[in-house]
Amino acid sequence: MFDNLWKKTLAATLGLSLCASLTVAQEKYGFGTKADPAEIAKYDIDIHIDGKGLPAGSGNPALGAEIFEIQCAICHGEQLQGVRAMGANSLHEGRRDIKKLPYATSLFDFIRRAMPLTDPGTLSNDETYGLVAYLLTQTGVLKDKDVVLDAKSLAAIKMPNRGNFIIDPASRFSAKDVH
Amino acid sequence: MKKITQFKPNRRHFMQAGMATSAALLANSALAEDSVLIPSRGPGRLISETGTYGVRSQYAKEVRMKGSANGLVGGAFTPLQNSQGMVTPSGLHFEVHHSGVPDIDPSEHKLLIHGMVKDKKIFTMEDLLRFPSVSHFHFLECAGNGMGEWMAPRGKSVQQTHGLTSCSEWTGVPLKILLNELGVHGNAKWLLAEGDDGARLARSIPLWKAMDDAFLAYAQNGEFLRAEQGFPLRLIVPGFEGNMNIKWLRRLELSDKPWWTHHEVTEYADPRPDDKIRAFSFFMEARSVITSPSAGMKLNGPGFYEISGLAWSGAGTVKKVEVSTDGGAIWQDASLQAPVLPKCHTRFHMPWTWDGRETTIQSRTTDDTGYVQPSYEEMYKLQGPIGLMHNNAIQNWHIAQDGEITNVR
Repeated sequence: MFDNLWKKTLAATLGLSLCASLTVAQEKYGFGTKADPAEIAKYDIDIHIDGKGLPAGSGNPALGAEIFEIQCAICHGEQLQGVRAMGANSLHEGRRDIKKLPYATSLFDFIRRAMPLTDPGTLSNDETYGLVAYLLTQTGVLKDKDVVLDAKSLAAIKMPNRGNFIIDPASRFSAKDVH
Repeated sequence: MKKITQFKPNRRHFMQAGMATSAALLANSALAEDSVLIPSRGPGRLISETGTYGVRSQYAKEVRMKGSANGLVGGAFTPLQNSQGMVTPSGLHFEVHHSGVPDIDPSEHKLLIHGMVKDKKIFTMEDLLRFPSVSHFHFLECAGNGMGEWMAPRGKSVQQTHGLTSCSEWTGVPLKILLNELGVHGNAKWLLAEGDDGARLARSIPLWKAMDDAFLAYAQNGEFLRAEQGFPLRLIVPGFEGNMNIKWLRRLELSDKPWWTHHEVTEYADPRPDDKIRAFSFFMEARSVITSPSAGMKLNGPGFYEISGLAWSGAGTVKKVEVSTDGGAIWQDASLQAPVLPKCHTRFHMPWTWDGRETTIQSRTTDDTGYVQPSYEEMYKLQGPIGLMHNNAIQNWHIAQDGEITNVR
């Protein structure tokens, strides 16, 4: 199957290079299929820092606590302390400290894209909002233990550590390009 | 003139070949009684038994060292201690995974490019193979290569201290061809590159890099990618953190802002002693290490040894490698083995006669931007002794009087 691709490709490339040598510039190769919005929506799971991509639904810390107990505590620990034997660091301090995230959208995005480790993609939108609410209250970022997070309120959260990120000048970007 | 002996097929040989029992063939060696020659080995393994995909000799034992707490997040370290030349065999290339290794049928794999582009398109592998291709030799290095070495020398071998770097020839489609084909929006500055593994690993990639030398690779060292290296498609951003070279690439989305994904704000950001965190530190800076002799080896008495090692820079081309065999007092230029390519492992050599006295050997590289590989002391000034990623400090190997080599600071 895949090995036949070489042959097809060779034929196509030969044809193409002949064209290219005859015409000065190849306008468009034209390969690929136009993606319609419904098709894009199937893949488009990321959350932008302005909240674009956050789905409908909502959740509070109580719902998050329930899900955390069932799905997360085995690796992350009941007190978010991390279980080293499972390869999970503390979510309270160090590299994975949730308080230090620059954007709450990063947290929603990561839980939705990759967690739980052995069954990613199985949490509902409400459960994911609930987990973000639970983690942000447990780490002291949000004070209101009854907070309800949805697309609007999550996007509005100002994470306290945002100003402590220094942009590597070698990246050729400055603060305005990244926030 | 040498007498040409006519080849006489041995009837028994062919009968046995038909039975495909090479052991019987090996027994079929007779030596003339008056011969002083070392006896011929006789016929070897039957061609029908050598396999249609070659395997290495049973005596070649180099293997990677694996590590993972939960079986899904972790990787494998390249055995640099006996590495030769600049290319890493595909089967010894380092790996770091965030949700294991997916098994992807290339006929079903798709790449979506969308966001701030005029035309949003889905490409099959067949589509991508039709575009013009490029091949380049590049190293890939995990940003965490040498993570365990920041505080103190811990690794028992160069495989443990430096084994998360490898070098291959990669072949694929220049990303700028695809982006020009689709038409990039004037305000776009970033791309999200996303994998099709369980972690759907995602990193924000600068558009300037995509329009410079980034490409979408489908082949490594002359054959399709290994599953562990992202089959059927991986992003190559030459010289950038290994983690950004997204494997099993399924999606590229263009935007005016980065995403600050989990991996770029936690694992691959650099905490500093002043509580600030350095973000978007893409470049793997110039680094070198002596691979032989190195920790875990033992010199067999005074005499000649060739010092051999690897140097590389994510910012450019290796310009110079200096080697010291007296603990850093005198530095001599090593010879660089051609080819010396940008963002690629460069093999260096230096002849050395060990006088049998205790000493420390080390290497230091300078790239064509003028950047000089730092010592640990110099590196601490930037990131402090708490750093994790981007350890590119000079490596010291201590040689004891008995020839034992160990990792020291």
